[in-house]
Amino acid sequence: MALTRLNRIVQLSHTVSLTRPLHGSGCGLQLGAATQTEAPMESPRAVFRTSESEPASHGEQHIGQFYTIPPSQVKTIFPHGLPYRFQQQIKTFNEACLMVRKPALELIGYLKKADPTHPSVRYVLYGERGTGKSLSLCQALHHCSLQDWLILHVPDAHLWVKNCKELMASSYHRARFDQPIEASVWLKNFRVTNERFLKQIKTSQKYVWSKREFTDEGRPLGEIVDQGVTRVKNASDAVGVVLKELKAQARPGSYRLVVGVDGVNALWGRTTLRKEDRSLIDPSELTLVHNLRKMMKNDWCGGAVIATVTQTGSVFTPSSAYLPQELLGKEGFDFLDPFLPVLVPAYSEKEFESSYQYYRDRRWIQHHTGHTEEGKKELLFLSNRNPAALERLCAFL
Amino acid sequence: MAASTMCTAWVSSITRKHCYDVFGIIRSPLFRGASYSTALSVPTNKDVMTRGNRSTMSRRPRREPAAPRTDKMTVDQDWSSVYPTAASFKPSTVPLPIRMGYPVKRGVPLEKKGNLELIKIPNFLHLTPAAIKKQCAALNVFCTKWPETLDSEAKCEQHFPIQVKMTDFVFAGPSVRNPKARVTTLTVKVSSLNLDDHGRKKLIKLAGERHNKETDMLTFTADRCPLRRQNYDYAMYLLTVLYHESSKHEPWEKEKTEADMEEYLWESSTSERNAVETLLRMKGSEDGSAPREELLSSRPMQEYRNSVTNLKNAGESESTLLQYKQSVKNLLNL
Repeated sequence: MALTRLNRIVQLSHTVSLTRPLHGSGCGLQLGAATQTEAPMESPRAVFRTSESEPASHGEQHIGQFYTIPPSQVKTIFPHGLPYRFQQQIKTFNEACLMVRKPALELIGYLKKADPTHPSVRYVLYGERGTGKSLSLCQALHHCSLQDWLILHVPDAHLWVKNCKELMASSYHRARFDQPIEASVWLKNFRVTNERFLKQIKTSQKYVWSKREFTDEGRPLGEIVDQGVTRVKNASDAVGVVLKELKAQARPGSYRLVVGVDGVNALWGRTTLRKEDRSLIDPSELTLVHNLRKMMKNDWCGGAVIATVTQTGSVFTPSSAYLPQELLGKEGFDFLDPFLPVLVPAYSEKEFESSYQYYRDRRWIQHHTGHTEEGKKELLFLSNRNPAALERLCAFL
Repeated sequence: MAASTMCTAWVSSITRKHCYDVFGIIRSPLFRGASYSTALSVPTNKDVMTRGNRSTMSRRPRREPAAPRTDKMTVDQDWSSVYPTAASFKPSTVPLPIRMGYPVKRGVPLEKKGNLELIKIPNFLHLTPAAIKKQCAALNVFCTKWPETLDSEAKCEQHFPIQVKMTDFVFAGPSVRNPKARVTTLTVKVSSLNLDDHGRKKLIKLAGERHNKETDMLTFTADRCPLRRQNYDYAMYLLTVLYHESSKHEPWEKEKTEADMEEYLWESSTSERNAVETLLRMKGSEDGSAPREELLSSRPMQEYRNSVTNLKNAGESESTLLQYKQSVKNLLNL
């Protein structure tokens, strides 16, 4: 009975909002409709949602359930970190819900148990396309930020090795190249995430930017970031300084640092950028890449490095490659060795069920067959339990 | 009109029995010779088929095609007499219900009768096991006895590691010579040659394409000389030279880099260096530094070494990665 009422409401909202707006009034109406039938939907809702909003308190029993991230946290922790489709989903559903899954839980477990006096351990998330590596990384970073760690998040390292509009020769090092736009964008987002720390951490030496500009020793790191944002020319060098300072001062007594890089195989792959004489640029000749590589080494302690290797967005790699060694190459593998590879598989039966229920609850599946058992089996077959595929399929319904 | 008179004239002379005119009067068989009559007669089926004056006298009654030979074949017949030599496929001679061809519009492949595809392809109907047995029995008369002590494959390999293949061609033609007969192939297993590790690696590098990694066989095909004996001598010469060259140590071989290595050696690699450094840093923080040898010979390190070597040599797969993960966890005490 509740189902027929639901269908009628679904049809009503379907006729009102003929197109599928990604954000805006249509969604609001749907939410309004949802509140009317709050009571009968309570029991299935409870199955796939959990009220624990702290990743630290998630356990094995929460696998497959969705937990919500408050919007304020989303703005501070993930100004640029979440994948694009997930950002659209947040706007549509008016909430940021992540599913608790085994790889993220495993990672958070390691992070909790890790010894801060030991050199930082490197974790590499790998898996086929669309299985949820980036979101698992985001979940781990969410946990770290709630535990008050300093978060260094590079949302997509592939963006730094391709499609760069302005490439200038570095003032600091003659052979290297700067990328001012990417560096300044990243610095802005970094500032949003770690406001608190930027006031606390002080520089350890004097940095001279040009003839008239310099940053003294003992000034807060926020000044370096501001320098990079305002003087875009020095942005890449500012990034380098920030990374160096953070690494040097990440001791067990002070803050704990987590470096999250999505698409770390870009650092050792190939670029599509060319010099003026049309010869290809090696990744090591880019300032940003060079400095980030230094962060990837485990010669500092009191933190962790979480990375994903992904083929999506990478250049010159076959689309079937997903294992770490084939994506990182010999050089990358030797650099990161020894690291802990964590596999991110496709949805299990329970997780698929949970995801399906979530989409139904959010009124995302509007086609009447989508609500039947057969429709569910069809979705299962078509998506092959791949999270991204399921999401795209449901978007059509 | 003219046509009908012609028709009746011809009809009356031949098919006297079957001739009816319009009035239903049967012509008598005694009435021979061509005669004109104005009456029309109904033509029968057979008349329609053969028009005109052709084959009037020499025409015989059409006979049905005979049953194919396959119907008369018994199950236990001697097949080597049906196909004694290489011959094209004859559908009436081969008693198998074979179909060949692309099925059009959800149909089935075409049947064998009149199937050009079956005729075009080579067939081995003349080389059934029974036929080969007969041929071997015939050749046996000219053979010597097989040595009794060589009763297993392994013994043959051990005593005769080098195998030489030469082909003779028999055919009917203007000349008995066949240029393909000069080709000589020499195969030998590399493990049966007396070489150390360095020699083996060098030989494999020098041989290049001629070495098969899976079966570990070295194959020389010599056809550059006009005579078979010369090609055989050349192949033996190649083998000798290769063997002696691989055993030598050249001074420039010391410059072998990591990129030249055939397989991954963990010792003195970046992986070993990284692992040792990490462990030293970990131990260093806990007051008390262990010497390098102790670290290297510890169990987690050995496991790690095995897993990395496996990962690099055997390639990447879920199982090797899991093994690597486990070993790293043990190494870093996670």
